Amino acid sequence: MAEVSVTKGLIKGVVKLTVLLTVGFVCLFLFGKILSAPTEDGYRFFPMLGSRVWVWIIAQLHLNFAAFVLGVPIFAVSMEFLSWRRTDDRLDRIAYDFTKLFTLAYTLTAIAGTVLMVSLPLLYPKFMGHLMDILGPTWWLYIVVMYGEVLVCYYYFYSWHQMKDKKGVHVAIGVLLNFMGLTMLLITSSWVGYMTTPGGVSETGALINRWAAIKTYMWIPLSLHRLVANVVFGAGIAAAYAAYRFITSETDEDRAYYDWMGYTSAMISIGFSLILPGIGYLLGVEIYAYNEQMGIQLMGGFFAWLWVMQAILIGAILMFVNYYLWISLNKMPGGERYFKYVKFLFIIMLLGYTVWLTPHSVALSLEEARRIGAYHPILGNLGVMAAKNTAVVISYLATFLSFAIFKMSNKEPVVPWAKAGNAIRIILVLGSSVAMLGIGVYSYMVTSAVRVKVLSPIQFGIFFVTIIALFILDNMMYKNAKIIGEPRWGKMPERSQYALIGITVTFTWLMAMMGYMRSGGRQYWHVYGIMKDTSPDAYLPTHGYAAIVCSTVTVLFFLFIGLLFWSIMKLEKAQAAKGGAKA
Amino acid sequence: MLKIYPVLAAVGLLISIVSVIRKSSFFNFLGILILLFGLLKSAGLFIPPFPGQVITMYMAMSIFSFLIYFSIQEETFQAFLEPMRAVLGDEDKKILRVLIVFIALPLLTGFITYTKVVPVYEPPVSARIVHPEPPSQMEFRGKTINVIGLENPLRKDTANFAKNVEDGKKIYYQNCFYCHGDDLDGKGHLAQAYNPLPLPFRGGDTIAQLPESFVFWRVSKGWRGLPAGSGPWNSSMPSFEDFLTEEEVWKVSMFIYEATGNKPRT
Repeated sequence: MAEVSVTKGLIKGVVKLTVLLTVGFVCLFLFGKILSAPTEDGYRFFPMLGSRVWVWIIAQLHLNFAAFVLGVPIFAVSMEFLSWRRTDDRLDRIAYDFTKLFTLAYTLTAIAGTVLMVSLPLLYPKFMGHLMDILGPTWWLYIVVMYGEVLVCYYYFYSWHQMKDKKGVHVAIGVLLNFMGLTMLLITSSWVGYMTTPGGVSETGALINRWAAIKTYMWIPLSLHRLVANVVFGAGIAAAYAAYRFITSETDEDRAYYDWMGYTSAMISIGFSLILPGIGYLLGVEIYAYNEQMGIQLMGGFFAWLWVMQAILIGAILMFVNYYLWISLNKMPGGERYFKYVKFLFIIMLLGYTVWLTPHSVALSLEEARRIGAYHPILGNLGVMAAKNTAVVISYLATFLSFAIFKMSNKEPVVPWAKAGNAIRIILVLGSSVAMLGIGVYSYMVTSAVRVKVLSPIQFGIFFVTIIALFILDNMMYKNAKIIGEPRWGKMPERSQYALIGITVTFTWLMAMMGYMRSGGRQYWHVYGIMKDTSPDAYLPTHGYAAIVCSTVTVLFFLFIGLLFWSIMKLEKAQAAKGGAKA
Repeated sequence: MLKIYPVLAAVGLLISIVSVIRKSSFFNFLGILILLFGLLKSAGLFIPPFPGQVITMYMAMSIFSFLIYFSIQEETFQAFLEPMRAVLGDEDKKILRVLIVFIALPLLTGFITYTKVVPVYEPPVSARIVHPEPPSQMEFRGKTINVIGLENPLRKDTANFAKNVEDGKKIYYQNCFYCHGDDLDGKGHLAQAYNPLPLPFRGGDTIAQLPESFVFWRVSKGWRGLPAGSGPWNSSMPSFEDFLTEEEVWKVSMFIYEATGNKPRT
């Protein structure tokens, strides 16, 4: 693939996109003629699955790929920048590998996007007509930016080797690529924002102010949330790719490289995930500010149970991350000294997980309901925000400590104040834990306004201040530290790699479920409060049914991702064979 | 039946202790799970029992987490796999293999299947929604009221605060206490006739979590006003707009907050 010249690569990209767009428009035209006219209220029906489920699956698949191709370039460029400044070939290789991944994934993203582009106007002509009336210009801008992004992306990839002596310019092209990706994200978020928290239109849906229709309550918080989640997700997929390559590697050198790639990607993913709850909180606040009814529906009403599922999944992700870090101690010379601490971290994680997944309202049989009453004395107290926030911050702190232990496990500090430094570390960890627990207990005794607006931010603030302080302290203490031995990259049991795959699969499922909740918050409205959904699908499915659809999307996505990984490996083998034949 | 569970927990603890001494992580794993299950079930001796659904969640989480724990170090992980490998592969364990693989496991699977499919004569388990979302607007005896941002107008009349609470108390005892109870604990005379049981107002997890506008809407509209989007609902709450004036609803709201020491969410 990389043998192709830059011009040919660019032509390839433009041709692919043009063909797909042309196919899309031709399909729209032909199906529009062939299919029967829409119903009076503007619907056609997709056979077997129904229109809603079909669009749901395709949209989520498209969104998963889009998240990947928008997220991965951010840290591919960051890695390239670091490799340029530090002249580290390993960083350059990882950046190139990431670029290879997202360049190939563009095609799958565009295919899913084309299917969606055909499906929506055919199945929901009235609704799409309304969206075009209100936000039509943004759609045309989207196509222009998409062409620009494909051109820049293909140029970035195909010029990699040619521009190895002009790294600064190449990094700048990467930055431009990310800028275009961000623009696309802002455009698509404005569509979802309008559907959920519409503005700029009259009560009957007539356009009053287009900019107000773009700049809705949800627009920026959703864009921010998606941006960070894309990095988390993209890094997760890269970690899964590294794990897959590790498992299938035939040489120690490859295993060492993919072990390092998996570790780097996973840490980027988890590092960025630390800020997701805060941005999610901001998104929630904006939804409440727009419409309290929708806020309650999402947080405490019909969707309350899905938050329990979210807790189960995030708890599983944190367990996988810690497991990966704990098992990584095996490859660190001197790492065995720290296994004695792992059991304590495990107990903290287990207790945190227990509190986090405890539901406030539970599914009860009649007999259980009779015996328990309205709320169980223990579950009723563990299932509320005061307990859950405390569990989350303590679990995150334990995860950070697992990371810190891994990082310093092969080193010994040589600074004269090492003992004092250790004492400060203990004081910081214990002090902040006691403070966070204390605030958690106190949260039960105050009004919800104080809990939400004052105590919760303080709890999260203490957590962030603590990890920043620990990070600075460790950096100072371990500067010029004695190295017991270099990490034995590649000397990891295969099961550790399944933890990386587990993180990514769980995150993908979580994305599907949270996307469903965000969309379901509109209930029986296409555009909330403006345009009613009058189709036979204008009801919320049961959680079980929604879970099946989310699982189907996740399985389909990983089938395609598996195909992508397989084609990369096949290309590499073909190139290696070609190189061997030439030699 | 409940008295068996402490014994089960003790057996689990014993298995776990012996396994630690003999360095058998597999049996330690089993011992811990039995101990946890026994403890969760035994809780019913002292407090209302944990619901089956929550015990299932805790046990699934424990299996996942302890599998992780016992596979961190290579030596422990190999020790964990050892009994399974031995039963499945060792020549001298043929009888044990037949007993476990061909008799015990199929019997266990059959038993679990039986318990899942055997007909029961209880109503299905219901996942209750605690906070139905109020509408942005509501009609109260023909008057349109904006629910969002709605505040209790009587709270501004600080001079008559005690009187209004006292009035609310009378209204409560004339209308609400039959179900919600003399002590506002959801244990009124008629409470046991309903499923789900009427909500208690004491504690920090019912009215303390709600803005007063929600309480006003819920009392006024009752089950008839519950949102269509999240149906079907299971509620017997009457629509008190049929019996009370707007002011009376606010008064009773003030009383239930005051009597329970709670404050409306702001």
